[in-house]
Amino acid sequence: MEGGEDVGGAQLKGDSAAISVSGLVRGYGKTRVLEGLNMRVDSGSIYGLLGPSGCGKTTLLKVLLGRLVPADGSLAVLGSPPGSRGSRVPGGAVGYSPQELALYEDLSIRETFLFHGRLHGMDGEKIRARESWLIEFLDLPEPTRQVGEMSGGQKRRVSLAVALLHEPELLLLDEPTVGVDPELRARVWDHLQSIASEGVTIIITTHYIDEAGKADRVGMMRNGVLLAEDSPKAVMESQSASSLEEAFLALCRRDSTAVAV
Amino acid sequence: MLGFIVIMPAIQILLFGIAIGQPPTGLDFAVVDNGPEGMGEVVIEELGASESILLHTDYSDISVAESEIVSGGLWGALHIHPNGTAELLLDNSNQQVTQTIIVEVRDAITEAMQAQGGSLPLEIADPVYGDKDPAFIDFLAPGIMTMVCFMFSLILTTMAFVGERYDGTLDRVFAAGTKPSEVLLGHLAAFTTILVGQVTVVILIATYGFDITIEGGVWLLFALGMLLGWSAMCFGLFVSSKANSEFQAMQLNMPVMFPVLLLSGILWPVQALPSWLQPIAWMMPTTWTAEAFRSIMIRGWGLEDRGIQLAFLFNAAFAVFALFIASRSLKVRE
Repeated sequence: MEGGEDVGGAQLKGDSAAISVSGLVRGYGKTRVLEGLNMRVDSGSIYGLLGPSGCGKTTLLKVLLGRLVPADGSLAVLGSPPGSRGSRVPGGAVGYSPQELALYEDLSIRETFLFHGRLHGMDGEKIRARESWLIEFLDLPEPTRQVGEMSGGQKRRVSLAVALLHEPELLLLDEPTVGVDPELRARVWDHLQSIASEGVTIIITTHYIDEAGKADRVGMMRNGVLLAEDSPKAVMESQSASSLEEAFLALCRRDSTAVAV
Repeated sequence: MLGFIVIMPAIQILLFGIAIGQPPTGLDFAVVDNGPEGMGEVVIEELGASESILLHTDYSDISVAESEIVSGGLWGALHIHPNGTAELLLDNSNQQVTQTIIVEVRDAITEAMQAQGGSLPLEIADPVYGDKDPAFIDFLAPGIMTMVCFMFSLILTTMAFVGERYDGTLDRVFAAGTKPSEVLLGHLAAFTTILVGQVTVVILIATYGFDITIEGGVWLLFALGMLLGWSAMCFGLFVSSKANSEFQAMQLNMPVMFPVLLLSGILWPVQALPSWLQPIAWMMPTTWTAEAFRSIMIRGWGLEDRGIQLAFLFNAAFAVFALFIASRSLKVRE
């Protein structure tokens, strides 16, 4: 059983923007984090958001979720500004995996799924079906195991599982592969590619710059703006780099020089 | 852990009941009898039967007894003069001890005078409410019940989602489209199950542990205890929505707990507060509750009483208000 059968269609891929952002400004108190950011994510694509910590990735995701209100600029997520009347974000349309594990340590895996499943109005049978699939797919321990007793990597996978649980049409994953072994990481990417082909839109932030090579598009973020936004191949070519990491370094160097001038 | 949370108020109320409010016992006290025939014997017999007083009758000279008071061996001495009058010498350094001795001596003298066919010009009739010999515990118990219901509910909820706000779980719950009011009511519903246990235990201990008679309706007491618990929980949820860390939440509790303990008539009557402080005292739900608990437990009053109605109303209003400001400060969109 694969996620995302009941949403969008593959025909949407590349045709319309699931997310479009222009001139986005947002900070905390006096510090400005996002400085007029522009971004476009196509429906049914995987978008890799790359950048050093503190560059504003998490803030951007929280703005997309409607948790943070932009100070300036405009954005549309699945057709309307998040949090506006009639918007399905926040809500059942989105699956979010925060950078923190964001799990209740006292609950078992089963209870965790039940809690989040109920929040999304899923019935018990549906939750059970997703539970057995997710446990198998993400190689999780038995469902009665308490979250607090699991290893860091296992918790990370449960956290990802919660985001996938209700088969949302938009996935915002903040560093979902930290501490996940390479083999499983590859499997996660395979799955993301497969649900994306069924129309699910995915934004994923990651430290492992090279794993973002599997994304349809990457956004390279620094100091609250995107330095580049294109397919991984195009980004590498434009910087005549042989890897994404190299391309990113080249972009950063040019950005610093521009600031100095 | 859950059991511990429910039992903790019980332990506290037990300690309070054991340590505070019971009359002192075994107070060393001497009677020097130089009085007329018959009078001294009755006084000695009465005082000797008292649990509070450990009576010494081996002093024949009042000056010896007095020097014993000076050196700390006696709390006081009663000197009965040959003309039938009596003089009470006291170490007045401890008010509760002195009060106990004065009441015991007064009762003994009254008995002695009646035995001789006389009587005091003042007779204390059977009280309209309460016991003829009111114990401090009768006053204290409703207050302590108030305090325990309030504080434990407050402590339960102040840290309810301080952690959740920082470990991302609340972000995730909000991302699912949950409203702040739903989050708050969810927490309230969960903690209510614990509250039921706590209030029940508190009432049971007061009734059976300390033999405190509850003249009025137990269900009324329970209902008001629950309502007070809710208003404390709603306030705790507000603290929880404001505090930046668990440590800060604890610190924010402190300036709430002490005024509650000191100003709401729990340890000492509100009427004894300076007049400018009294309006502040009546702004706290605990003041209304402690007063209403006393009316229910000692006077046996019911819902027809204005003060008890106001206690219910005030607690409900306080709970709703606290929940409202909590939901305002717990923003989905920041």
